[in-house]
Amino acid sequence: MIESLYTPLAMLIFPGGLFALALGLSLKGLDRRLAARLQGRVGPPLAQPFYDLVKLAKKRTMVPDTACQPVFLGAPLIGAVAMALAAALVPIAGFYTPDPLLGDLLVLLYLLTVPAVVLMIAGSASGSPFGAIGFSREMAMMLAYEGPLVLVVAAVAMRTGLGQGGLVSFSLPEIIAYQQTHGAFLFDPLLWPALAAFLAFYPANLGIIPFDIPEAETEVLEGPLLEYSGPALGLFKIMSALKAVVVLGLGVALFYPIAPDGIAGLAVHLVKLIALMLIGVSVVRVSCGRLRIDQAFRFFLKWPLALAVLSLACVALA
Amino acid sequence: MTSLKQMFSTQTRRMASLSPWIYRINAGSCNGCDVECATTALIPRYDVERLGCQYCGSPRHADIVLITGPLTARVKDSVLRVYDEVPEPKVTVAVGVCPISGGIFRDSYAVLAPLSKYLPVDVNIPGCAPRPQAIIEGIAQAIAIWRERL
Amino acid sequence: MNFIKNLMQNLVRGPSTVSYPFGPAWTPDKFRGRVAFKLASCTGCRACEQVCAPGAIRFDKTPEGLRFMMWHNSCVFCGLCEHYCPTDAIQQTTDWHLAHAVEDEFTMAIREVIAYVNCSACGAKTLSSAPNPVGVNPPFSAEEIEQQRNLCPGCRKKALAERGATS
Repeated sequence: MIESLYTPLAMLIFPGGLFALALGLSLKGLDRRLAARLQGRVGPPLAQPFYDLVKLAKKRTMVPDTACQPVFLGAPLIGAVAMALAAALVPIAGFYTPDPLLGDLLVLLYLLTVPAVVLMIAGSASGSPFGAIGFSREMAMMLAYEGPLVLVVAAVAMRTGLGQGGLVSFSLPEIIAYQQTHGAFLFDPLLWPALAAFLAFYPANLGIIPFDIPEAETEVLEGPLLEYSGPALGLFKIMSALKAVVVLGLGVALFYPIAPDGIAGLAVHLVKLIALMLIGVSVVRVSCGRLRIDQAFRFFLKWPLALAVLSLACVALA
Repeated sequence: MTSLKQMFSTQTRRMASLSPWIYRINAGSCNGCDVECATTALIPRYDVERLGCQYCGSPRHADIVLITGPLTARVKDSVLRVYDEVPEPKVTVAVGVCPISGGIFRDSYAVLAPLSKYLPVDVNIPGCAPRPQAIIEGIAQAIAIWRERL
Repeated sequence: MNFIKNLMQNLVRGPSTVSYPFGPAWTPDKFRGRVAFKLASCTGCRACEQVCAPGAIRFDKTPEGLRFMMWHNSCVFCGLCEHYCPTDAIQQTTDWHLAHAVEDEFTMAIREVIAYVNCSACGAKTLSSAPNPVGVNPPFSAEEIEQQRNLCPGCRKKALAERGATS
């Protein structure tokens, strides 16, 4: 059990940065392989996301004449760095606890909005009309899914806080410690609506199929990413790989962080991440079609929001 | 030290050559070849993703450009413009007989084929339309050329 | 919930992808692929040139004889040439491995010359093409074809009349 690593090290190597990047890319490879298998195909090699990244590093970056160059090239960098920091904020039950000085759940929530904001900035800075469409869609999606996410997190925080005799606890280590003594929230009927809302939030935040509306390659030609090529696009790939690790890790920490101490805790964490990726992402991805932006917006303001509010009310009243 | 550097460069080149992304330009095609291209990605029987390929929506992401159709006079400028958007290094593949020679549209006033008058084409896949396996064969040849260019 | 069943079936049954390009590919028996030309059977009637929609087949006269040219990069594999050929000199194979680097573009062609010979009967300069078998009764035997090949059109007619053919 590592209580507190040197903070930059946590950001750059473990559990943020390199480790999270390798983990995220491996998860993406697994996801692509399983999606292919579910469709009856062989699918790419497991290391395909790594190959893609190496390839992108070798290509040339083109900046359109209409783009604002510093913003255009700076946006992916900001996104990747923010996600590397966010990955350092997610605890691994029994193995890694982030330094409380680094930030708590609220900081993580703020950092989780950075990729969407970065995509919006990138889309509008590229000067392409498709980028602009992607920008408006990304913004609508963000408005739709951020509300339920905050309410889900609030429900979990309140459950922990009330259980400990306070009101709310926005500290992930406390939430994990509470669940390890009182049982995981996965088996807590009061939080089942919140769990359902959280599962709906996954595909929206990771930009996969029912909710990949801002980056729909067949409609708006990948939207904000349209004008990116080479290493800049690679940074976006890094960002999304890190984001997958952060969001999945957040889900594990919020709902099922039960794990033994030491290195076994890390192994259990990895298994949970893989299971969550395959069930929450791959299966959803191959079994749905893409929604329209208005449908997705209405869906999020109807079901996940209602479920999250319900859960929060249950927790507050119980 | 130099051998280490060389090993690194050959390894990265090998890894990069396993990820050729494909972009498809329709230069006035009848859509027959486009459908056959789509089957290579969408029908499980001819899964082109095994080669690491992926059809991408934006020309900026592409490594291998598949061009179908006889290059009609109307679409020529757009095709050349989109082709220029593809970053180097890239490989061009002419799919079907239309871009190679004009096929049945040859000598029409509305058609500017062959495509190789305007673009540097690297691989030809003749057929009307070529069957999906033939397209995969052509893509495999294009990957071999692309590896040399990386 | 039918799609869940489908997905699970796919997962259990395994991928249905054929192994090509890493292994062999299945080709239908009647696949219309690369055109093959048999010089010995060609009568030089040029019907294939007439029916070829994209103009992939051309005949031209050279000092050596009548040259048959066929470019695979123009062929649309419609099969008309095979259909109209009276002697099956043009036939479509099932070979579809036609993808090639652009340097080989103009080697993807058939160039065969039906040579000029001197008529074995009258000595006039004539093409050594196979005789047209349409309506010949009884059909030509192999030796007859070889004899006719070296005759000029006039002498062929004479030989056919002597043979008592109804044409």
